[in-house]
Amino acid sequence: MASHFSGVLQLTDLDDFITPSQECVKPVKVEKKQGKSVAKIQIEDDGSYVQVNQDGGKQKLEKAKITLNDCLACSGCITSAESVLITQQSHEELLKVLRNNKFCIPSNLNTISKIVVVSVSPQSRASLAAHYNLSSSEAGRRLTAYLKNLGVHCVFDTSFSRTFSLLESQREFVERFHRKEQDSKAVPMLTSACPGWICYAEKTHGDYILPYISTTRSPQQVMGSLVKGYFAKQQGLSPQQIYHVCVMPCFDKKLEASRSDFYMSDAETREVDCVITSGEVQRMMEEENVSLSDVEPAALDTMFSSVCGDEFLSHAGSGSGGYLHHVFTHAAKQLFGEEVKELTYKTLRNKDFQEVRLEKDGNVLLCFALTYGFRNIQNLVQKLKRGKCPYHFVEVMACPSGCLNGGGQVKPSAGQNQKELLQKVEELYRADRPLVPESDPRVADLYHSWLNSLGEDGAKELLHTQYHTVEKMTNGLTMKW
Amino acid sequence: HQAALRLLGQGGGSSSSPATRLSAHPDSRCWFVAWSPNGTLLASCGGDKAIRIWGREGDSWVCKSVLEDGHQRTVRKVAWSPCGNYLASASFDATTCIWKKNNEGFESLTVLEGHENEVKCVAWAPSGNLLATCSRDKSVWIWEVDEEDEYECVTVLNSHTQDVKHVAWHPTRELLASASYDNNICIYKEEDDDWECRATLEGHTSTVWSLCFDATGQRMASCSDDRTVKIWKEYPSESGDTSWKCVCTLSGYHGRTVYDVSWCPLTGALATACGDDAVRVFREDVTSNPEEPVFSLVAQVTKAHNQDVNCASWNPKEAGILASCSDNGELAIWRFKED
Repeated sequence: MASHFSGVLQLTDLDDFITPSQECVKPVKVEKKQGKSVAKIQIEDDGSYVQVNQDGGKQKLEKAKITLNDCLACSGCITSAESVLITQQSHEELLKVLRNNKFCIPSNLNTISKIVVVSVSPQSRASLAAHYNLSSSEAGRRLTAYLKNLGVHCVFDTSFSRTFSLLESQREFVERFHRKEQDSKAVPMLTSACPGWICYAEKTHGDYILPYISTTRSPQQVMGSLVKGYFAKQQGLSPQQIYHVCVMPCFDKKLEASRSDFYMSDAETREVDCVITSGEVQRMMEEENVSLSDVEPAALDTMFSSVCGDEFLSHAGSGSGGYLHHVFTHAAKQLFGEEVKELTYKTLRNKDFQEVRLEKDGNVLLCFALTYGFRNIQNLVQKLKRGKCPYHFVEVMACPSGCLNGGGQVKPSAGQNQKELLQKVEELYRADRPLVPESDPRVADLYHSWLNSLGEDGAKELLHTQYHTVEKMTNGLTMKW
Repeated sequence: HQAALRLLGQGGGSSSSPATRLSAHPDSRCWFVAWSPNGTLLASCGGDKAIRIWGREGDSWVCKSVLEDGHQRTVRKVAWSPCGNYLASASFDATTCIWKKNNEGFESLTVLEGHENEVKCVAWAPSGNLLATCSRDKSVWIWEVDEEDEYECVTVLNSHTQDVKHVAWHPTRELLASASYDNNICIYKEEDDDWECRATLEGHTSTVWSLCFDATGQRMASCSDDRTVKIWKEYPSESGDTSWKCVCTLSGYHGRTVYDVSWCPLTGALATACGDDAVRVFREDVTSNPEEPVFSLVAQVTKAHNQDVNCASWNPKEAGILASCSDNGELAIWRFKED
């Protein structure tokens, strides 16, 4: 089976001479039971292993299992992670939760119903809109209706949480820029919204690159904080009573949701329980013979959505969140008093490597770049290692063309060309009116009423995260011949 | 045809010159040899992590310089830049070193990092501006060199499903071919602003170890663990895509894996290096139909080396001079003569 992960992850240390299951070299801890030391192991017809003791007693042996955490903590391949994720985070899992809700008897404590929240990314909305020939807002309204018909309680929009990500990135950048003389790793600040890039940096470049990466959480994980924190409290629910699903343009987002940093250990639940891709949503509808074009649109949930009336709002700049655009315009103004109306992107080596500069009297005040796709990430990393990186800020995305071209987007229909489809998705995405992050009153209100009450550290925990170097394994089992 | 393959200096001609069999990488394997573009120098590399440069002094071949400390593991392949001033080395330590020739010898210029594990091969495009590398990580990378000797990655190609053993550039066009453990050959071309695999050549039934274009680039020879050599011919297609068909399979000649194939740009003779310790030379029957060419074995040395022969390489300027190297650490230089 072809891997769904982005190219960056597929390249990470996959072996060649052995198949995926044999490939895993993670040593498994086996619980040794006290007792007789002599026994035979017998393989049954069904492939299970049975221990036959000297007294003739039989005992089925447990299979060694690799958990997702084992896999993510290993410097080897990610093949096992993929199969684990497919079972844990799929549209079938969402349907299972919804089915369970329907058969739930309130008096029976064994069947506890869950409040199901789905947060949809604007890139997924654009992808579905292109597939069903709708506008992006129309697709959002119909998707809301479709999900609510299935039994989903709330449908939110991750543009809303992205406003927080953009504001936090902007603050972090200004703070890093001020300390760049004392701290050699303050700039360039590298964006953190792409989980493929993060996983690659952690597994292969570790200590060297991680300090440059922005600690700001991605929109998906800010939404995680909002839903399992603010929303839960407001509804009088425990975080565990909420099943939170994100619809994303990217398979790697499943990995992000599974990170231990986003597990609420007190409440024993993940901030995002399940990530399904745009393509999986489309498949889910197809399996039920539903076309989004036939679904009656519904009113939007406005609590955590970036909307004006029934139209969705977006952010200016790239289709990958517009991080460069926002941080650049803000930094130009705050650090140099320059009002930048329009950004001029200069294409460098290829279309996935572009540069934006702020110049005054022949001096370069700010130098930002967009670096998409593995080839350009490579050059960025090598430049950093050689101390030859001229940038203050880099928007890094693992996929060529960025998130609108994510591996989880709806595939071209028969006869449709990938490039044409991407162009259509880009047009639909850009048709949404942009919102300036500072001017969203509800975000400002949440900062004021909710985050301020948690104190600086509390707010930081909900809006920022950490990265961890994955140590290269040194035990003999990983020896490559 | 009457033809013979003899060690240089042995039999015929100037019988006084010593036979050219050198212990190039003692107590180690000699993996690969590469002639400099003007044919005067031969670079060898091996399991001892070293690269040695050999040149003629009078009648004998001597080691002119040793390039050490560039790599931490086996050096698998070396390649000369078309201008002859640079040497690239691919190593199992996951890096590719670029060496620059100076008055004293060679200096390490830069190290290309990025491959996840063993780099298996490196090749310079005819323009000298592009460099291709391939690895056990299943990927093929293309690097671009600028005027300041800075290398940047232009593309990472993931068309193979297994270890990529060899990369070779078309002699005149910017077209790259790669051979893999997945039994296939891929052909790449630049499209818009990225490189793409434009053709996958299926036919070998086991690992494809090496491949080589002929002087015109209209045909390509590949060799495999399936003990055959295949000749592929390019056919123009309406879409402008490159389409290659296998027009000839040489089977029954090789007792074991064929590790390398070299198509002489001067004479058109085809040499192979085989795991059965032999070096063989094949010739195309000039009267055969170009759509179904016939190649015959015209010369062979069954015990060319006393272990696997890893590489065979024709001198690009002096017709009939062939270098080979072996698992026993030795290299040999042969003269192929047709009467």
